[in-house]
Amino acid sequence: MSFIKDYIARETLNRRNFLFASAAGLGGVAAGGLFGPGMARAALTDPTIAWGYRNRTNPYWNEIVSGGESFVQSLGLPRDALTHLINEGSSEKSLSDVKALLAKTGGNLALAIDANDAPNCRPVVEAVAEAGAYVATIWNKTDDLHPWDFGDNYVSHMSWSDVKPAEDTARILLDAMGGKGGVVHLGGIASNSPAIQRRQGLENALKDYPDVELLAAEPADWDTQKANQVMSAFLTRFGDEITGVHCANDTIAYGVLEALRAEGIEDMPIVSYDGNPQAVQLVAEKKILATVFTNPYWGGGISAALAYYAATGAFKPSEEPNEHREFYGPTILVTPEDALEFKATYLDSAPDYDWTDYWGPSNGPIRY
Amino acid sequence: MTGFPNREVLLRWAPLIVLLILMLFFTALEPRFFSVRNFARIAISAAPALMVAVGVTFIILMGSIDLSMEGAVSVCAVSFAFVFLWLGGSLGGWGWLALPLTLVAGAVLGLVNGLVHVRLRIPSFMASLALGFVGTGLAMLMTGGDRIRIEDPAFRALLTTRWLDFPVMIYVAGLFLLLGWFIQSRTTLGRNLYAVGGGEDLAHGSGLNVARVRIMGFMLAGVFYAVGALMAVARIGIAETATGNGFMFTSITAVVVGGTALWGGTGGVWNTLVGVLIVSVIGNGMVVIGLPGYLQDGILGLLVIIAVVLSTDRRSVSIVK
Repeated sequence: MSFIKDYIARETLNRRNFLFASAAGLGGVAAGGLFGPGMARAALTDPTIAWGYRNRTNPYWNEIVSGGESFVQSLGLPRDALTHLINEGSSEKSLSDVKALLAKTGGNLALAIDANDAPNCRPVVEAVAEAGAYVATIWNKTDDLHPWDFGDNYVSHMSWSDVKPAEDTARILLDAMGGKGGVVHLGGIASNSPAIQRRQGLENALKDYPDVELLAAEPADWDTQKANQVMSAFLTRFGDEITGVHCANDTIAYGVLEALRAEGIEDMPIVSYDGNPQAVQLVAEKKILATVFTNPYWGGGISAALAYYAATGAFKPSEEPNEHREFYGPTILVTPEDALEFKATYLDSAPDYDWTDYWGPSNGPIRY
Repeated sequence: MTGFPNREVLLRWAPLIVLLILMLFFTALEPRFFSVRNFARIAISAAPALMVAVGVTFIILMGSIDLSMEGAVSVCAVSFAFVFLWLGGSLGGWGWLALPLTLVAGAVLGLVNGLVHVRLRIPSFMASLALGFVGTGLAMLMTGGDRIRIEDPAFRALLTTRWLDFPVMIYVAGLFLLLGWFIQSRTTLGRNLYAVGGGEDLAHGSGLNVARVRIMGFMLAGVFYAVGALMAVARIGIAETATGNGFMFTSITAVVVGGTALWGGTGGVWNTLVGVLIVSVIGNGMVVIGLPGYLQDGILGLLVIIAVVLSTDRRSVSIVK
């Protein structure tokens, strides 16, 4: 009966091979249909390099874009070869500027962008992919949108998880308060994801400090003057009950420090976030107890580099593992003990980054 | 003037009554609102805005509008910081020279604004809005996006030194308010501003050089913006492109809430003082009573509309545009 067995085995194998072959064939046809126009011009030559962001007034975005300019210079181009798409906090402007630039360049574009808010990321990415251009995004993206769903054109997404670092700074703050008293939180624009994450970090830490009360949390919109006014009003509302201040970023902390100085209060424990040079100096002077550096300079440069090198074909995004396409940026906690050393390494002169080391300083795959 | 015999008196005092009602309201909800220390805090937050609002009051009295204040304040703040630090960074040394130079810078910005508006015959709304953006861009160009810290203890004494529980800057603001009142009521320029605002054809027909008055008005406003910029820097010790942020809404709202008519000719700096205090009391009070942050912007807008309804005389105008 062995010949029957052989026959069945042979037929099974053939059938499997046939299925494999047809699946590959159909898939190939489908992929060809989907990415046909894009595949035909997989590598661009001398694409326009652009950065889309809020504005340069904000020191954080200024650092991001400075990194982008550094990357452009590493190609031997002048600094102003980088095209700036400034959205001033408007998603509509962000999208329409991208479409205008795609039209102008005929899709010969390497774009790094923060789409301003999460829902706006999809139309931006779709417009770029449709034109056969390349895009790397940071910060704002909905959870259901992934680079690997767009072949090579959606190169990568980088974000920063701020919950854990904000929790770390909160613990430093709560310890400095002696584990008791009242803390106030001054947050960013309420709907921004970093603002939400940084507040969450504080709340996580508070679970371990039952004697500390969260007196209030108010948005200060990342703005020094608004923070100054909110902190003054907090002083009226709570007076001496406030024994510590958790700030969502450095620009807020500056306003808080000045509101306290106006009242002659010099020794209030404060922590912040972002690691701006002046904040690091204040950490060294122990006016701020901790801040978190997210290396926006590197983030801005590497996002432009990823989009550019994918566009020119130096690497093929679709051949990279998922953790190279959605990853966290670096976070470094800065405390009074290491502030000066940190400042010397990262801030006094920007380190000479290798912009082809795409994922070196990154911080693992994004988890949802 | 039918029905209520005291209507005119009531209208004149309406903004002040609105301010008192607001203060009673916030005090009722949170007694800590009514304390000298909190009034000092409100005064600190109001002082820079008051200077800017007094400046724009002169423009609105003429029946024009000036929206360049955010750019002007940023340029003045950043210029001050650069000159101040270049001259040694201390009021004790040559640094004091930066103060008058900043006022000159403000006047020059106002002059440009007035010239563009009058000579190029561009509506003040558009000319000033555009120049405001130019100002913000200029400040950006000067700083490259960096912030400049001003740490000189003598300059910061405007905030840190207190007389009778109020920082020095409050008294300085008071002096400039008196100066504004003097210009408005005791000088030819002040009366000419009212004349242009009350009826430009008539003023022109009476032989008044309206173009000159307009340009002077914009220069005067520029000087007050510069004073506002100095106070904003004194308050937070930082000069940056963002120093001007938020002044447009606060100052225009304050002028209107205070009872100065947007169509010109009526109102003045005292109305503006009350208007700035109304806006500042609302801002401070909402946080003090613990109103959730997501409601504050909406409530601020509603309160401003209510304040305008209560404190301006809209019966005398047939058209609102």
